[in-house]
Amino acid sequence: MSAAIQFDNVSLRYGTKSDTVEVLKSISFSIDSKEVVSIVGPSGSGKTSIIMLASGLETASAGSVKINNQEIVGLKENELSEVRRKNIGIVFQSFYLIPNLTAVENVLLSLEANQQFNLEQDAENLLDEFGLSHRLHHLPSELSGGEQQRVAIARALINKPKIILADEPTGNLDSANSEIMIDLLFDYTKKNQTSLVMVTHDSSIAERCDRIIEIRDGQIV
Amino acid sequence: MGRLFDIKQFKLINKYALRDFSRSYKKLWVVTSTLFVSLLLLSLTFSVKEALNSEIENNSKELLGGDIQVTSGIDPLPEEIIDQFNALGKVSSAIEFGTMLSKEGESPVFTELRAVDNSYPLYGAIETIPQSAAERVFVNSQKPSVLINESIQKLLKLNFGDDVVIMGQQFEVAGLVSSVPDLAESAVFGEFAIISMDSYEQFGLNSGGSFLDHEYRIKFKNSIQSDKQEELVKSIVAYDDSITTRLPGESGQSLSRVIDNFSNFLNLVSVSAMVIAGIGISNTLLSFVNQNNTSIAVKKSIGFSSSFIQTMYFYEILLILVLTSVIAYLIGVFSPLLANELLPKALGIDLQPTFSFLGFLNIFFIGLLVVLIFSIPSLYSISEIKAGALFRNTFNPVSLNFSLKNILLLSVLIVILTAYFVNQTEQKFYTVLYFVAFFVTMFIFYGVSKLLILFIKRFYKFSNNSYRIAYRNIVAKKSLAPIMTISLGIGLTLLLTLSFVSNNLKKEISDSIPSMAPDLFFVGIDRDIQSNLESFVKDIDPNVELEFSPMASASFISLNGIPIEEVVSENNRSAWVVRGDRRISWSEKPKPDNPIIEGEWWEPGNESEMFISMDSRAAYDLGMKINDKITLNILGRDVTGVVKNFREVDYRDISINFAIIINKAFANKLPYEYVGTLKSELPSSDVLERIVDKFPNVSAIKIDRILSQVSEVLSKVFIAVTAISLIVIIIGLIVIVSAVLVQTTFRRYNNLIYKIVGVDFPTILKAMTMEFAVIYSTLIFFALAVAALSSYLVVENTLQLTWHFDFGLTLWILVSTALVSFVLILMANRSIFSPKVYPLIRNE
Repeated sequence: MSAAIQFDNVSLRYGTKSDTVEVLKSISFSIDSKEVVSIVGPSGSGKTSIIMLASGLETASAGSVKINNQEIVGLKENELSEVRRKNIGIVFQSFYLIPNLTAVENVLLSLEANQQFNLEQDAENLLDEFGLSHRLHHLPSELSGGEQQRVAIARALINKPKIILADEPTGNLDSANSEIMIDLLFDYTKKNQTSLVMVTHDSSIAERCDRIIEIRDGQIV
Repeated sequence: MGRLFDIKQFKLINKYALRDFSRSYKKLWVVTSTLFVSLLLLSLTFSVKEALNSEIENNSKELLGGDIQVTSGIDPLPEEIIDQFNALGKVSSAIEFGTMLSKEGESPVFTELRAVDNSYPLYGAIETIPQSAAERVFVNSQKPSVLINESIQKLLKLNFGDDVVIMGQQFEVAGLVSSVPDLAESAVFGEFAIISMDSYEQFGLNSGGSFLDHEYRIKFKNSIQSDKQEELVKSIVAYDDSITTRLPGESGQSLSRVIDNFSNFLNLVSVSAMVIAGIGISNTLLSFVNQNNTSIAVKKSIGFSSSFIQTMYFYEILLILVLTSVIAYLIGVFSPLLANELLPKALGIDLQPTFSFLGFLNIFFIGLLVVLIFSIPSLYSISEIKAGALFRNTFNPVSLNFSLKNILLLSVLIVILTAYFVNQTEQKFYTVLYFVAFFVTMFIFYGVSKLLILFIKRFYKFSNNSYRIAYRNIVAKKSLAPIMTISLGIGLTLLLTLSFVSNNLKKEISDSIPSMAPDLFFVGIDRDIQSNLESFVKDIDPNVELEFSPMASASFISLNGIPIEEVVSENNRSAWVVRGDRRISWSEKPKPDNPIIEGEWWEPGNESEMFISMDSRAAYDLGMKINDKITLNILGRDVTGVVKNFREVDYRDISINFAIIINKAFANKLPYEYVGTLKSELPSSDVLERIVDKFPNVSAIKIDRILSQVSEVLSKVFIAVTAISLIVIIIGLIVIVSAVLVQTTFRRYNNLIYKIVGVDFPTILKAMTMEFAVIYSTLIFFALAVAALSSYLVVENTLQLTWHFDFGLTLWILVSTALVSFVLILMANRSIFSPKVYPLIRNE
């Protein structure tokens, strides 16, 4: 099985030479395609930093990060954007829908970033699958938290990415909505043979994954 | 930008930009409104200028009164020359001169009188009230008629059918002349009258002396080969250098020059307004980017690149520019119709709206350059927004991006904007100077705002709550200080500078000049009556101050053997000295008020050689040196003389002064007349009335009348100029209000916190007043300094007057601007005074 994500001796440091914070300390791991992995650990341990590095939204201070065997450390901004467009779907804890776009327009954004046009029907079908057929043309401010997160997940999945990165996707939801959200993600991952990397504090969610990576003080334990 | 040329990307950018604009237009109202106002001003200026130039070009023959005009000065052309003209087409002759027009019981007025023959005008028509009045003037009757303009009618309280006296001869007022085809400046701004050539000859009114001007206009029989006929006419009169010709293309030159200068000023004001609008655009775009930072970060996380997002926002601004420039241009196209209502009717100008795609592109291009200059640092800040912040939920506001690449790009764009403007104007040096001064002032004000923040941070410690809040607002990252200092500072500087210049000029005309100037200025006094006139005036007032100087007419031919047209350009400041007929005088000794600053006065007695004393300023402008050889045409004969000295001549007191003075011994051979001045304790109207009664051929200009005319015209011009410059302040205020509105969320939150900790409304209001007072008092200090310096340079160096500071005027401008600005800021801030607690606590 080939690696969807490969971290080799990856370090991440912030700050100045005299005042440096080492968030990740030379970590190495790989996540296979179709594998569902949760990253757990206490606050400030470096979980989100792994997601940021895997998505190319942060650059490693040292080491190598490969996405589907492509080295992404050292790529330019435009090249990283292309890697994201072609491979990755991201789900945030705070949903981050664009406030002046409707639900369907938010989902279409991912398709259009990939130069795929006139696929409104696909976006509407996916939202329909997620139980949002009655909310297609509503603005985010007119949706509940659970609905907003479902739109955000639809936006991450519409492109059929090979890797889904989710940063505490249920962190802002109640337990009922959390369950719906996780079911959606797991069902989709299985159906589409996709890798899923999820940061979570919820042990019950972590246990549903194929593997758990635990992080403490910037290192894998 | 390259993305706009990729059809797929363009479609996407177009879709996103249109959608974003339709849903976020309220956030972009400042960009839209300031761009629109400044583009409208530019468009109005261009359209009126184009329409005026087109009117002058289309009516060039009417403005000249013929296909060609020949001017022979004092002497008429010989009959055989006129016969040659007659062979080419229809000829109309006219004589112009200044003379007194009087009515019993009223003070006589100095009038430009035009005697015209039955063929006048060859093109167009004389417009009169009543309509048939012009015909009556040409009817040969015992009692001749005259057409007067409205100004004479008002001054002499005349009705149609009243009698007036011209050079001792009674004329009946046939009507009012409202416009003549060939422009006469005095018809518009002074006193102007028309009589028939028959009356002129019949009553022997030919004692206008050297101020007589014989003009001949020809309408060619064959209008197809006009070039050849023009050359033929020029060759016919080539025998005498003092005879000049004018073609239709040259007819509206002085009006065109006035239009060019005024429109150049308007263009500079427009571009100033646009640059200040640009500051607003930059500020609004930056806050727009900051308000949309999560959306931008989300787009980046999905896979859109910074350059795609930048292009999308730039395209959105471009759409606003297209929209505003099209509307501004279309309104501008119809502005000539409004200008028709404002221009003096006597000009006889009927402007027509003219649409030109190139004209639109011109405005659009200027707008594009300004938008590019001010949007680049804001839009490039998008690259600083990190999508990674979406994971941390922490967004730091981005600031203007002044990378080396951007600075180079901006410098190139500023140079292109300046060069583009300079290329369109005749006054290239002044335009460059204005741009340099403008950008330097802008940087000064930016520096001032930074200095203020630094100064307050370092030296002030406050214990009072209001002061502390004001202090925090001023030193805050999103402080109003820089934007208020720059946008209001520049507008205020421009307004103060123009007000100082106009006030000094008006003061000179209304106070200084009248105290020094004579009451009457005599023109063309025959030497036979000069001594009688002098005795008569001294009988009326023994204490009268009288001064007479001999005078002859001459025209400038060459400097050191080179034709003067080749040496001096039309735009030369002292071109008036060498253009057309010039009056020269002579003297045995230098005048005490004309000190020699270079060279020496000549020894008396040399009758065979002509020595010349030149006005030093004219000499400098014309590039003359001591011992240069000047050839003058005096009474049809070319005479070459040597420049012996340069005098400092001060024309301000309107006493008798000449740019050119020659040696008396040489001049004794010339026929001459006198000019003179009179200053008396008696009322000048009474003195003038008695003089004209006794000497009907004497012409005298009442100086106070001229000064009041000049003052009236200047007042109108300065009101227009000040009103236009106010637009810069208005745009500055819009920019400030937008900056205030951008801050309201931040301030509302702060005020809520203050409210929670117990700070009351009066304290917050006092803090805002303090904040405004500190910023405003700092900016007025520098605005006053820059305005005083620039107005001093203009008044002392360009206008050569003494600069005065008017405290009352300054206070009025500063206080009224402060009040308007502060009220607007309070209005824009009204929502922060009573922030609603619930939405803010819930972080909504």
